[in-house]
Amino acid sequence: MSDEETVEFLATVPLLEGLEDAYLAELARSVRRRTVREGQLLWRQGDRAREMLFVVAGGVSVSQHLPGDRTVEMAEVGPGDTLGEIALLDGGGNTMSVRVTEEATLLALDRVDFAALLARQHPAAFTLKRRLAALTAARLRVLVRRLALSLGDEPPGGAAGAAEAFADLETCGPPDSKYVRRMATFHEFDPLALWGFLTAGTYVRCPAGRTLIVEGAPSEACYLTINGAVEKVLVRGDCRIRVALAGPGTAFGYEDLIDGGGSPFGAISRERALLLVLPRDQFDRLFNGEGAGSRVFLDVIQRDLVTSLRQTLRPHARLAASV
Amino acid sequence: MLAHRAGRSRTANSGRASGHYDPWVCRVLAYLGRPLPVRNLLFDPDNSLVRQSYSPRMMNTFLNLAGFGMQAWDPTSLRPEDPFTYRVTTLPSFDHNLRSLSSKLAPTCLIAHVRGVTYSSDAIVTDSNLHPFRFGDARIVLAHNGHLRQFSSMRYALVEHVRPGLVRHIEGNTDSEWIYALILSQLDDPYGLPETRELADATANALRILRKVRAGHGIDTSSPVNLCVGTGRAVVATRFSFDYGWYPGEDEMLETDLPFVSLWYTIGGEFAELDGGWQMTASNTPRSAIIASEPLTTDDTTWLEVPEYSMLTAEVTADGLEFETRDLDV
Repeated sequence: MSDEETVEFLATVPLLEGLEDAYLAELARSVRRRTVREGQLLWRQGDRAREMLFVVAGGVSVSQHLPGDRTVEMAEVGPGDTLGEIALLDGGGNTMSVRVTEEATLLALDRVDFAALLARQHPAAFTLKRRLAALTAARLRVLVRRLALSLGDEPPGGAAGAAEAFADLETCGPPDSKYVRRMATFHEFDPLALWGFLTAGTYVRCPAGRTLIVEGAPSEACYLTINGAVEKVLVRGDCRIRVALAGPGTAFGYEDLIDGGGSPFGAISRERALLLVLPRDQFDRLFNGEGAGSRVFLDVIQRDLVTSLRQTLRPHARLAASV
Repeated sequence: MLAHRAGRSRTANSGRASGHYDPWVCRVLAYLGRPLPVRNLLFDPDNSLVRQSYSPRMMNTFLNLAGFGMQAWDPTSLRPEDPFTYRVTTLPSFDHNLRSLSSKLAPTCLIAHVRGVTYSSDAIVTDSNLHPFRFGDARIVLAHNGHLRQFSSMRYALVEHVRPGLVRHIEGNTDSEWIYALILSQLDDPYGLPETRELADATANALRILRKVRAGHGIDTSSPVNLCVGTGRAVVATRFSFDYGWYPGEDEMLETDLPFVSLWYTIGGEFAELDGGWQMTASNTPRSAIIASEPLTTDDTTWLEVPEYSMLTAEVTADGLEFETRDLDV
């Protein structure tokens, strides 16, 4: 596979679609081509992430381990798909085990080159970050959908009711910035960027038990928990699955702002909460911008998405294990 | 698990008064199932409980060096209803007696605990503060991972909720010992062997009392209460926090408490060494379960996280192990 052929292939990968040739050419120089026999384990769930893979040809299965030496098949992927980028984004272990099911040709991008590609001050790097956010959101939706199917029925309606519930919440001033700075979410913000972020929205106090977002409904804002906790939940009658818990420094309600697919889950305050409300226009400005503030904001959203996805894997594993 | 020196109190209403918290973070472990050498839990796995005492993978802002304790039930021992008790303030990693004992004991139920403490001139490291707690001949023991903020300002309001006969057993100055007394006080017979459901209800009721007393004293800051309560036949565990996500100003424990205090479990046939690593073996019917503050193996793929705000019960039955998790709304 020549460099030109590699660039041609990369241009067909949905994650990279539309990126300029020069950026793809640089990526092509960083990847290593590899042919892997059927049956070979590429990595095991929990292994430290070393690379992401582009599947050029062949087939690969993705599976999740469960207690009692069991596994559950999660997906089959093929040409044009990517693997391993989630764990590279947060530095954690690989979320699933990956095995070749049909002799595969792969392009491998190691973690250092992956990080370098994203760290560039280039419009394509911002585009790639946004694509990765959309890809992570899509994977999150697949997992949440699997959980929802276990509950059976379609989600209840009531989006208007939730919007009204939000409208009557008490507004308040911003929190102590010293407290906010101690949250891991904001460690990478310089003081000016943090001030810009904290003043981009409004603050509301919310009692426990309030439905803030209805599953499937469009979202008009991104919310960040400053104090308290909000549950991301799937509810069907008396049955409910908590997908994740948004505690201090954790966001919710933004998936629809990224891909327009509606909220993948509902949001209900578990504790009384202090929330930063970032309206859609402010979210769009930060998410689609290319300045220093947008760089950090994209990283925060990306990390939040990966955390949310990892949290979603836990009820999925419990459900699959039936314990 | 939190211990306060008497007389050090905080402003009851604000929860933000200046002052000092004794920020202890511990590690708990519960085992229920087939007979298992204690060393397979305390020493052998690559993230064993003893290893967690000096090298925790999670919540690693604190070390757990203020003592070790365990209560273990062996049906083949004399008076099998009484657990074997071992509690010392020495470091478990250097405790040759513990290492030797753990190779000889193979209980069917174990509750163990390593106690954490950060450096503080107020810290009280003493036998009476060691977990798991057990009053006299009680059939129930308790270990706690967490801390009730501003406990010193609410401690004596708990007296009215504890049976008089139990109050006199409280020897230490930890919040955990009071939680234990509260749970026993909710049982028909504090010294009897309760049904698992009764023990679970007593634990939930004790948390309700704590919430009520906290509210009465204006205490509204994050207070994790991860409990492991054992009887030899059953284990009740909680992953819970009051007012999660709310902290006093300038809080020393903030970075530790921002994440919900962790609790994990694994369940299967038996905990065994397979392919060089420790894990639960496959089994159509669960026979053994481990509940722990963090997985006992660095490969945590066969461990599941206990959901936040939940209670977990495990009970030995004729057909194996009955295991249940439920939302804990108190």
